[in-house]
Amino acid sequence: METIWQDVRFGVRMLIKHRIATIVCVVALGLGIGANTAIFSLAEAFLLHPVPFENSDRIVALVDSHVASQDSGAGFGPQDLNAVAPATYLDWIKEVHSFDDLAAYAWDEVNLTGDREAQKVQDFKVTANFFPMIGVQPLLGRTFLPEEEEPGRNQEIILSYGLWEQRYASDPNVLKRVIKVDGKSFNIVGVMKKGFDFPMPAEAWIPLALDVKERLRRDNRWLWVLGRLRPGVTFAEGAAEMQAISERQAEIYPDTNKAWRLQPQPLRQFITGTLTRQYTVLLMVAVGFVLLIACADVANVQFARITGRTSEFAVRTALGGSRWRVVRQLLIESIMLSLVGAALGLFLAQWDIQMILAHMPPDVARFVAGWKTIRLDRNAFLFALVIAVFSGVISGIAPSLLGSRASIAETLKEGGRGSSVSRTRHRLRGALVVAEVALALVLLVGAGLMVKGFQGLLNVNESYAPQTLLTFNYSLPEVQYAPAAARLNFSEQIMRRLGSVSGVQAASMVTYVPYADGGGINEREFSIEGRPLTQRGATRTAIVETVAPNYFNTLNIALRDGRLLSDTDGAESPQAAVISESLARRYFSGENPLGRHIKDGKVEAEGKWMTVVGVVNDVRYSWIVKDDVPTIYRSFRQAPPFYTTVVLRTAGDPLKFVSAARAEIAAVDANLPLYNIKPMDKVITESIVGIAYVATMMAVLGAIALVLASVGVFGVMSYSVSERTHEIGIRMSMGAQTGNVLALVLRSGMLLTVLGLAIGLPAAFLLARALSSLLYGVQAADPAAFIGLPLLLFAVAGIACYLPARRAAHLDPLRALRHD
Amino acid sequence: MEPLIQLRNLEKVVEAGPNKFFLLRRINLDIQQGEFVTIMGPSGAGKSTLLSIIGMLDGAWSGDYFFLGEAVHKLNVKKRNELHKANIGFVFQSYHLIDNLTVFENLEVPLSYKNVPHKERVSLVCDALDRFHIVGKKDLFPNQLSGGQQQLVGVARAVILSPKLILADEPTGNLHSAQGEEIMELFKKLNDAGTTIIQVTHSERNASYGHRIIQLKDGWVVSETATAGARATVSHPA
Ligand SMILES: Nc1ncnc2c1ncn2[C@@H]1O[C@H](COP(=O)(O)OP(=O)(O)OP(=O)(O)O)[C@@H](O)[C@H]1O
Ligand SMILES: [Mg+2]
Repeated sequence: METIWQDVRFGVRMLIKHRIATIVCVVALGLGIGANTAIFSLAEAFLLHPVPFENSDRIVALVDSHVASQDSGAGFGPQDLNAVAPATYLDWIKEVHSFDDLAAYAWDEVNLTGDREAQKVQDFKVTANFFPMIGVQPLLGRTFLPEEEEPGRNQEIILSYGLWEQRYASDPNVLKRVIKVDGKSFNIVGVMKKGFDFPMPAEAWIPLALDVKERLRRDNRWLWVLGRLRPGVTFAEGAAEMQAISERQAEIYPDTNKAWRLQPQPLRQFITGTLTRQYTVLLMVAVGFVLLIACADVANVQFARITGRTSEFAVRTALGGSRWRVVRQLLIESIMLSLVGAALGLFLAQWDIQMILAHMPPDVARFVAGWKTIRLDRNAFLFALVIAVFSGVISGIAPSLLGSRASIAETLKEGGRGSSVSRTRHRLRGALVVAEVALALVLLVGAGLMVKGFQGLLNVNESYAPQTLLTFNYSLPEVQYAPAAARLNFSEQIMRRLGSVSGVQAASMVTYVPYADGGGINEREFSIEGRPLTQRGATRTAIVETVAPNYFNTLNIALRDGRLLSDTDGAESPQAAVISESLARRYFSGENPLGRHIKDGKVEAEGKWMTVVGVVNDVRYSWIVKDDVPTIYRSFRQAPPFYTTVVLRTAGDPLKFVSAARAEIAAVDANLPLYNIKPMDKVITESIVGIAYVATMMAVLGAIALVLASVGVFGVMSYSVSERTHEIGIRMSMGAQTGNVLALVLRSGMLLTVLGLAIGLPAAFLLARALSSLLYGVQAADPAAFIGLPLLLFAVAGIACYLPARRAAHLDPLRALRHD
Repeated sequence: MEPLIQLRNLEKVVEAGPNKFFLLRRINLDIQQGEFVTIMGPSGAGKSTLLSIIGMLDGAWSGDYFFLGEAVHKLNVKKRNELHKANIGFVFQSYHLIDNLTVFENLEVPLSYKNVPHKERVSLVCDALDRFHIVGKKDLFPNQLSGGQQQLVGVARAVILSPKLILADEPTGNLHSAQGEEIMELFKKLNDAGTTIIQVTHSERNASYGHRIIQLKDGWVVSETATAGARATVSHPA
């Protein structure tokens, strides 16, 4: 212990003595460890704590995915996960053994009225066993009772802590209140604890009540089912049993179940979502690369430093110090370096996390599972400590082993130069630079593709000038607006009123604007007259948009064939539909879709056939889905909606028109809350803010990697010049000119760089392939990335080589010859 | 014929702390084309220093130096290097081979700085390997050779381009006598063919191969004597 303390003190002296090298190492390690710690904190939040309750390991999400979607990606990109139908869920409850409980929930949105101002709330309908199953107690009151699953008795609501605080000012007597939920009277029976918002982003919960008709349906997939594994049953066993049950169901009910395959997932994985997980892993790999590059830099500095200390080691060995003592001394020095680096890294990580938290729009953060738990916690400190020791060891091990070996060789050899140790050292240092350049290239290409892909995402929507569009939603209460005529009347009135607000160039409506709901796509089944599905279980799906006829002009969606919807497509006239080009291509290839009849839903579903009257260009709906999504447009006059998105084309800043819009709507229905009030460009950027984060972080990491790699090249070449001083002297005496020496050094440096690029390129290409399935608009074979970025790296490495090369070229040959 | 080298009042001073220290003092020396000159003197006399000034590796001195009539003292570094590269081959006291290159590659080094085409390079190197009987060692690294063999490579490297002037600093210092003689014979042959040679040696025997001995002591030229082998064609300065 005493001797270790001595080593530490001596190490401190050495680090202070070689001040510049120490600073370079600490900064490199600080960047590496800081980036890793910050991303670790994100990963911890997203991957380990996405669920706001304990013991979630035993909970499994029983989700379905469509067979057709399964063979698309090779493990990358979004996964298509779906809810299940009520009858399927009820069958599972009867048959399953490996789960002791199955609960279900469904997304819902309600208007709260009756006591305060009208408010739109994100709620979930949950079965009575939902809260007991996940083991969560309310803060106030109770959770739901089994009898409250009966239709008609489901008039209870549980509030989230946030809603209770905001709407009722944390009133402890709130449980006695009765409020109107979508116009019906509900009792407030409970308030959940602070921070509990499961499933995200719940603000309230109401009982899930299935009526007799609904309980029999196998085609309407809207229940998300969670199961709790029986004690002693593993996830694999439970998943296998469920899959067997699901396959049996597919045989019994081929029409509805054949095309589906159950994909049980641990709850955590399901909540995190494939994309978040993949992007998190991408960032973890990227910061890992940065740390490795930093370690290579430090190892190189250590190599150089050790070479200058061979006589010290020889003396230590001569005085009876064992080889292990010398190795230990060196390891202690590099671990101390990385601990100081870690201290700096923690500051950087803290700052980084603050930046990350500060720039996320709250509307998006509430959908990101685990977002609230992002912070530098004890685990992050431990992590920083562990990777600091790890970096210290890996950056110190090779130099110290070789350094200690050299010290023995030193005492034996006569010539000094050209020993096998120094050649090994030389090669190792070269290999480190090659590795650094290769890693940096992979990172740079990754960053380049992400940034370019992100740019592409922004540009693709420019066609409809989103910065002058205002969008907001409303949802008409079911009871009051049950008659279609009431809804039609309401819609007509507000379209007319909003259209006449001064400064509003056009007022229109659509069910979902592109990029709504963070880019999620709501596809529905539709049918084509006279074209029954050939395969059992197959479906035809499309986005079905109910629009005002001027929607196409408002969003600059061009007509390709036929006509647009018009104001004369009224309630009494024949049902008209306009379809997107991608729908025409996919379902009417080689034929004229105009005049064909389609229907929202199955053939036998109620509802009239619509005649296709026009074909329009596609609109990009989401950054997740690569292909254009087939879309059907119909007029609001022929299907008056409850839920809609109002779209206003404004002169100038759309937010200036919010109060006017509110006033116009309040004039028609004073109780109707408006929500999601946003300019269209904000809708888009919020939906891709995750990508913006990843792209920014990748760009920063790429830049750090570029700098660290060129520091590495510079260090190695400077060292190599001092090592080769004697050789350079000889060459000069043999007639080498400035240019020759310059070329000599540059050549060896650039050779290492090119080698690194050659190794990095295929790896970068693999990464690009993975990224291209992760992000729309990223092409694996992007010439700009694969030519431009290697050239950039080459140029920067060239500068890093040039400085030492110039020093070499201006050496005094006589002095160089005497150098040993 | 114009002298190959004319030195007039050449001096070299180094500063050691506050003191000036003369390494060479008022050197006046003419060396004719085709001469074979030996520089002798005690250790520390300045022999190597003089040789590197003549060899244009060292530019920090005062006085006049004419090489084939060209005023070296007026040349910039680049021009001086060109002159050196075009005319001078070196043999060093401590070999000065490049450790990471094989014998073959070491011999190639001077050729690479004179843009000799690859084919010719190979034939020149093979020639030299042959002449010095080191063909068998061509793929070895310097530290795999004995000191004598290393110096053999050093000599081979100096003469490979058939320079006008060969500067040899104790070329045989580390060779056994038979090898030493072989090299001196070679120098003599080169000299007979017209190459000027300046060597530094402590050996009277080696000195006897040359025409003239210049004695150096504490930076001064103390005597010049013709050897028995001196030829009539070489004129002595008075
Ligand atoms: N750059 C320098 N700075 C200071 N002193 C120098 C420098 N170069 C050489 N000397 C000194 O000048 C003197 C002459 O050195 P030089 O190498 O020319 O001697 P030498 O005659 O070749 O000796 P030897 O026979 O031992 O090779 C020596 O005392 C040496 O220490
Ligand atoms: Mg000498």
